[in-house]
Amino acid sequence: MSSVLRRGSVILAFALAALGLLITTAVRGERAQYGSLVVSLGGRLSPLSLPREHPAPVAVGLEGNLRTADGSPLPRVSRVEIGLPQQAALSTNGLPTCTRRRLVVTSNADALAVCRAALVGRGRVDLIVRVPHQASFAIHTQLLAFNARINGRRAVLLHAYTAHPPLAVVLLFRFSHGSGRFGTRLAASLPALGSWARVARFKMVLWRRYVSRGRRRSYLSASCPIPKRFTAGFFSFARIAYRLDSGRQVSVAIARSCRAR
Amino acid sequence: MEKKLCKESWRRLVIALPIAVLAVMTGSALAAAEEPTRDEYVSHLESVCKPDAEATQRAMKGARSDVKTERLSVAAGKFAKATRIFGSTVKKITPVPRPAADKERLARWFTDLRRQKSYLGQITAQLRSNHAIKAQRLIARFIHSGNLANNVVLAFGFNYCSFKFSRYG
Repeated sequence: MSSVLRRGSVILAFALAALGLLITTAVRGERAQYGSLVVSLGGRLSPLSLPREHPAPVAVGLEGNLRTADGSPLPRVSRVEIGLPQQAALSTNGLPTCTRRRLVVTSNADALAVCRAALVGRGRVDLIVRVPHQASFAIHTQLLAFNARINGRRAVLLHAYTAHPPLAVVLLFRFSHGSGRFGTRLAASLPALGSWARVARFKMVLWRRYVSRGRRRSYLSASCPIPKRFTAGFFSFARIAYRLDSGRQVSVAIARSCRAR
Repeated sequence: MEKKLCKESWRRLVIALPIAVLAVMTGSALAAAEEPTRDEYVSHLESVCKPDAEATQRAMKGARSDVKTERLSVAAGKFAKATRIFGSTVKKITPVPRPAADKERLARWFTDLRRQKSYLGQITAQLRSNHAIKAQRLIARFIHSGNLANNVVLAFGFNYCSFKFSRYG
């Protein structure tokens, strides 16, 4: 009996250690330092095993972090741009859209009540608020991502909400397609956060399966186009660029692997 | 006679000792003067790494599509060129005087760089031998160790001297 218990606790300890390692790895990601500012980005594709020839539904998880190495206040971010590989297929055909007006000044529950059909992802954003002559404090917001269309172009509305202190912000990320390694771009200006809030960390998973005209579709799809002789491939997965208030741009890119099935 | 010899060697020692001490002191003072600050070190290394990083990017252009289309020998040639460039960069930056406070950290970084070079060489060899899976495993290790190397010198804020996956095809 005791040996069974001991074995059980050893397995549990290993499982916890493995989970801890996974979380640590996921949180850290790749890092770059600009002066005292440390920018990091982690990310993952799920599932890892993908078909070689045709795209399959995937979830894309991204986690970004901004901190200063010397503990000085974080700079204000005026614009953020997320780059994804051009090969990532984005489908919004038949996917309902949401509008900014419907999300303004709503809680998470209210936002979901009016726009659940357009939901394409979830996450969280942590902000550090620095009010002059006061100690800075952190705000942890829940994030909901909704499919949107602005001037006929695809976009994502990010709804950040926290009840303590009451805060609801809607950020508009526009999609654009260009050349280069990260041809699919999502960019947003961040004036909505005000002059006192600093983005410290975010975590977001984009994923949505839906049915349109009798066909099952996925908001994001990807393949692992590698030759038959290989079992895994490596690719530039994502890049995040922040434009700071000073006009300086800082960025970090990450590479990940996929497995062919 | 013996007493005279002993006296002579004492005199020599009295003359030689201050000279030796002075020489050691001058040497360490010069060494201290040669030790750069971290900013000077970074800008010196970046000036060395920049042309080589750009040359690597040129040499590796299309390597990933070569692997995708199974032209492994073509990809091997590109990796061989990248290995040579990487090796020469490490050779050039190794003797550069390092900031005293960062010596330990930089020693770890140089160990990582040598490991990186070794991986590049091994990838080239496996691609030449048409061993796709072995090359694939080594590429994974190369990327992982590159990221680890970057973390060691994160505070230096290197650009051209840091590992960037995008430079390799």
